[in-house]
Amino acid sequence: VPPVGMLLFRMNRKKGDKGFESPRPTTHQVVCINNINFQRKSVVGYVELTIFPTVANLNRIKLNSKQCRIYRVRVNDLEAAFIYNDPTLEVCHHESKQRNLNYFSNAYAAAVSAVDPDAGNGELCIKVPSELWKHVDELKVLKVHINFSLDQPKGGLHFVVPNMEGSMAERGAHVFSCGYQNSTRFWFPCVDSYSELCTWKLEYTVDAAMVAVSNGDLVETVYTHDMRKKTFHYMLAIPTAASNISLAIGPFEILVDPYMHEVTHFCLPQLLPLLKHTTSYLHEVFEFYEEILTCRYPYSCFKTVFIDEAYVEVAAYASMSIFSTNLLHSAMIIDETPLTRRCLAQALAQQFFGCFISRMSWSDEWVLKGISGYIYGLWMKKTFGVNEYRHWIKQELDQIVAYELKTGGVLLHPIFGGGKEKDNPASHLHFSIKHPHTLSWEYYTMFQCKAHLVMRLIENRISMEFMLQVFNKLLSLASTASSQKFQSHMWSQMLVSTSGFLKSISNVSGKDIQPLIKQWVDQSGVVKFYGSFAFNRKRNVLELEIKQDYTSPGTQKYVGPLKVTVQELDGSFNHTLQIEENSLKHDIPCHSKSRRNKKKKIPLMNGEEVDMDLSAMDADSPLLWIRIDPDMSVLRKVEFEQSDFMWQYQLRYERDVVAQEEAILALEKFPTPASRLALTDILEQEQCFYRVRMLACFCLAKIANSMVSTWTGPPAMKSLFTRMFCCKTCPNIVKTNNFMNFQSYFLQKTMPVAMALLRDVHNLCPKEVLMFILDLIKYNDNRKNKFSDNYYRAELIDALANSVTPAVSVNNEVRTLDNLNPDVRLILEEITRFLNMEKLLPSYRHTITVSCLKAIRVLQKNGHVPSDPALFKSYAEYGHFVDVRIAALEAVVDYTKVDRSYEELQWLLTMVQNDPVPYIRHKILDMLTKNPPFTKNMESPLCNEALVDQLWKLMNSGTSHDWRLRCGAVDLYFTLFGLSRPSCLPLPELGLVLNLKEKKAVLNPTIIPESVANNQEPVNSTNNHGQSVGFQNTFSNSQEEEEIDMDTVHDSQAFIYHHLNMLERPSTPVLFVSDICTILPMLIASLSVSSPQATVGSDFPPFPRISLPFSISRCKEQSSGEVNMHPVSAAPLSVFSKESNSSKHSDHHHHHHHEHKKKKKKHKHKHKHKHKHDNKEKEKDPFAFSNSPASARSIRSPSLSD
Amino acid sequence: MLQSYISEIGRSAKSYCEHTARTQPTLSDIVVTLVEMGFNVETLPAYAKRSQRMVITAPPVTNQPVTPKALTAGQNKPHPSHIPGHFPEFPDPHTYIKTPTYREPVSDYQVLREKAASQRRDVERALTRFMAKTGETQSLFKDDVSTFPLIAARPFTVPYLTALLPSELEMQQMEETDSSEQDDQTDTENLPLHMSTDDSGPEKENASVLQQNTSLSGSRNGEENMIDNPYLRPVKKPKIRRKK
Repeated sequence: VPPVGMLLFRMNRKKGDKGFESPRPTTHQVVCINNINFQRKSVVGYVELTIFPTVANLNRIKLNSKQCRIYRVRVNDLEAAFIYNDPTLEVCHHESKQRNLNYFSNAYAAAVSAVDPDAGNGELCIKVPSELWKHVDELKVLKVHINFSLDQPKGGLHFVVPNMEGSMAERGAHVFSCGYQNSTRFWFPCVDSYSELCTWKLEYTVDAAMVAVSNGDLVETVYTHDMRKKTFHYMLAIPTAASNISLAIGPFEILVDPYMHEVTHFCLPQLLPLLKHTTSYLHEVFEFYEEILTCRYPYSCFKTVFIDEAYVEVAAYASMSIFSTNLLHSAMIIDETPLTRRCLAQALAQQFFGCFISRMSWSDEWVLKGISGYIYGLWMKKTFGVNEYRHWIKQELDQIVAYELKTGGVLLHPIFGGGKEKDNPASHLHFSIKHPHTLSWEYYTMFQCKAHLVMRLIENRISMEFMLQVFNKLLSLASTASSQKFQSHMWSQMLVSTSGFLKSISNVSGKDIQPLIKQWVDQSGVVKFYGSFAFNRKRNVLELEIKQDYTSPGTQKYVGPLKVTVQELDGSFNHTLQIEENSLKHDIPCHSKSRRNKKKKIPLMNGEEVDMDLSAMDADSPLLWIRIDPDMSVLRKVEFEQSDFMWQYQLRYERDVVAQEEAILALEKFPTPASRLALTDILEQEQCFYRVRMLACFCLAKIANSMVSTWTGPPAMKSLFTRMFCCKTCPNIVKTNNFMNFQSYFLQKTMPVAMALLRDVHNLCPKEVLMFILDLIKYNDNRKNKFSDNYYRAELIDALANSVTPAVSVNNEVRTLDNLNPDVRLILEEITRFLNMEKLLPSYRHTITVSCLKAIRVLQKNGHVPSDPALFKSYAEYGHFVDVRIAALEAVVDYTKVDRSYEELQWLLTMVQNDPVPYIRHKILDMLTKNPPFTKNMESPLCNEALVDQLWKLMNSGTSHDWRLRCGAVDLYFTLFGLSRPSCLPLPELGLVLNLKEKKAVLNPTIIPESVANNQEPVNSTNNHGQSVGFQNTFSNSQEEEEIDMDTVHDSQAFIYHHLNMLERPSTPVLFVSDICTILPMLIASLSVSSPQATVGSDFPPFPRISLPFSISRCKEQSSGEVNMHPVSAAPLSVFSKESNSSKHSDHHHHHHHEHKKKKKKHKHKHKHKHKHDNKEKEKDPFAFSNSPASARSIRSPSLSD
Repeated sequence: MLQSYISEIGRSAKSYCEHTARTQPTLSDIVVTLVEMGFNVETLPAYAKRSQRMVITAPPVTNQPVTPKALTAGQNKPHPSHIPGHFPEFPDPHTYIKTPTYREPVSDYQVLREKAASQRRDVERALTRFMAKTGETQSLFKDDVSTFPLIAARPFTVPYLTALLPSELEMQQMEETDSSEQDDQTDTENLPLHMSTDDSGPEKENASVLQQNTSLSGSRNGEENMIDNPYLRPVKKPKIRRKK
């Protein structure tokens, strides 16, 4: 069977509901690591996989393995030959000149596919010895034994070895596995997939002073013969995916949970008291989940390990979780406590869904993330209350909405391959969503966020009871399956799939949720509502108009029910509107006659009856306020217009915190005394949710600034703060700290920060406010407090930073001490003292240092202090606490942007490559992407060829050890240069592309200015769509018409090229080759990027719309299709000498090319037609872009001037 | 000469009196002294009774200044017998009244806080300046390194320890606040305004957990051996391989 055929066969099978069957299912795997050297950071060991062949002629076994050195492979004790080929190490080999991201992303996706275990691929290809072929044909067991070692792993396994005296245990050296999604292949050979389960035996031989923590039950610990080491034997009898296997080794302190003896906690030396306090809460989380799921925790034990230099804060693996050590805290710390508890709860939720129940394929990931996120939400509701929960949901909703509107959508359940209409579901993105490893980290975070929100929508639809029943069903099926033998073929029950999940839902609830799934799961985008209303007094009807924007990127049309809540004088009424295609207006009858019952109390939604001062409202209307979709049962953004007094009523009297928060945000636009009063009242109200009060602080500051000319009385919030937190006898002195009441603690922290945002008529922070904050700092006294005040002090410094306004500068004078503003001098005095005190008495997580660094950067940026990154660079070095480093790096990133410093950018990029901590590396790229030194439409001295090369190298080969980092580099590249060829690069070799068939010359698309490409985005995406259709055609054609050489495809490298050659690259030069290739071989050579195959399915013009304005003008100028135009002559000669090397490459493909001639003819007709169509459109506006400087430049280009 | 003679008499008399363990010289002491100095004592009465001896009369009382009644308060003490009546009177009785004085602490809240704050600030300032003077520094201004000296950032070998563990000061503080429950602190200004009862925040749980912990640890000692956790089990000795 030719492997490609086999592959397709498998893919087809996968589409079926029965699930995917691996050709090489592993039933059991032994991992034995017999030596770990912390000094050299190396690992030596072996694995043994027990494989049951399912297909007769399995003569090659593909496994995943990265960065491991493989010494020897034996199959059933017979030496086996193997090939180790990892195409993701260097994504693009031959494209030395290609610098466009589109091309890279395609290549990267193809490379990842080529080793994707879910498709039966892998980096390591083992040839089954011919002696065993017969054995295989009888479908008998194979045992594959692989000896491997790892030397200084760059990813997957992270060593932390402090540089100090003493033995490794004394130093606190440790090592742990880490990574983004399935990354187990980085540290031992396996089938690195979430969908292939097997049982495990894990053995680790470590120094006697160390502990090895891994998955499953610790069966025994045995000394080695010299008694200097011990071996930890673990057994994991529950079938588990290799991707859920983990390891942590270090001189851990061991704490057996006092409530649950089967739970063990581990932390680094000296931290035991913190560990005790931090984990003292975990048993409650356990109880909660077990209760709602009515299911026991599936594993027989659970381990938590807290390690330094964590990759992510929480990583869940089978029966153990690895946390960042920075989550540990003492009883004195307030702010970290809820955060840490959230992390613990998240980790535990993933134990059930994610570890125990795994997923069928990548496109089912949303179910797992959704369920674990959803039950985590239930835990939040129970632990922190409904207000906190609703606030969280609102926050998550806002986040996902903002992200989707920005990037164009998050698709939960992408369907690939199969259908021709839908094969590029994410054409708006600069990366492929086909694999987790090609996904931008931010996208993945948002993906998880959307997944749990959608689960909540499903709950709304079918009720929580049914929802929990579904989960219970999934779990009990899985747990029955887990105890079965492999041969029973039950293990697939432990894998969740979208269809299986939906089937369960319909079985349990009897409800059809297909429309919901179609809307939010199979489709990306959110809904954008615009609402406004009028009250018709005659009819006593509320005329509500709800418009939708479904044309902007990231939006979709919503059709269906929408709840609207109207608060009237007589009470609150819910209405369910049907949102339909064409109806915008909805008439809602009102219940109350306006103003009749003046004296009566007004009933609220929750049954409460309150007195209201109704003088502010419109005398003719009974409406107090209106809310659209109050339960957040649509993923939407609502912009609703109602008058200021309605927002004020909503803020004061609506009991839902989400409504209150919405009202606060809306009131920013109404700077009136009434708004001020409403906000101050909320601030003072003890019963009000503290987060709402905190939000009100900032809104009040904004309103005060808008009202600055008419503001009376002391600065906003000052008297309030004095009343709440200062001494009665001496109002300028704050009381000694007592943070027993957390609500007022948070308010006390926030108010000064908000107050510092106040500005007077000169747009300066009022002196009174600054003095007030300085007094708070001066009189701060924590001696009698039970809690640490480090966060409070840090926020006071933030407040100081907020008070800073831009310096008045005369002719850019140099900033010296002499011309320092006296206020700034006071601020600087405090910052200096705080920062210095941190060296002597460091605060928890160095929060104060972090705030000081941020404040110094603010002073620099506002021109009070000379701008200088040296201080930040010293704090950014390895060896500082991670929060401090991040704060310092953020300042350097900002400096790089503001001062356009090439040196600092280089310094940052060097750190991205060399820093020992993966999280820091990731974070630098992340910060550079969020605060880029320049963007694609910007002229910047930083944007040069060397930088392009450097970044290209970084994502092409420099980050192959870390998926997340590579995707981060891709994000940065996209932000800086966009999708097509970076504008700072010199023009490619050929300015013109010949379309000899059509007798046309087209400007090389790669030199089309990005701004133009940008304007064309929607058009572009449709083209991409078309192209992918082309790709599909080619793929299937090649399958039908052409026997692909088996050996080349066997090699994964070749597989990629095969793929790539069939892919169309929208922004690569395209040549419609025909017989001309024999006349101008050189020309083709120089265009080898457009390999002949690319033209095969060519009913496309890549970037047609963009190139056409030029092509038309060209055609008009030069009598169309004169071949003697000879663009080559315009290109520099050197190009030829360089490129002639690659001519072999194109020759290689000639035979393919000839075979596809027939196909081409078929398409010719269509082709022409499309061009005509395009031309018509373009003629309307042929010189639309000629104004842009970039296009002007390209017209001046040598290739065109010829 | 006369003066030194009289002084000598006084000195010797005092010596004799002290010699006999007294403090007040008596007549006999004087006599012994005079004898010692070679003075014939018997001639003394005769000399005292000589006819032409000089008598010093009291000064004539001339218009005694009348002290205004209003200014006198109470009765002045009369002169004792050995003080001649013409000597000035003792001071008014009220001048003898004494109030014992010592520096009482300032009890004003505001001053206290002010003082504590500035004291702490001064100490911190001095300390950090000292540290900055003696060690490496960084500066925000290139032209001036002394006005705002920043102690140079120094990387740690194990950064998380200092960042996570409470400082000794905090530990001490924690013990103090734990022993004396914060609610009954003497600082009356600081009574919590409003303790929400339904606050199921972490602190309440902490308290309960702490209690449980203590109760647990008590009972745990007994059942410690019963906890069956594989990580607590002893490490096994390697098996001696037998050759097949």
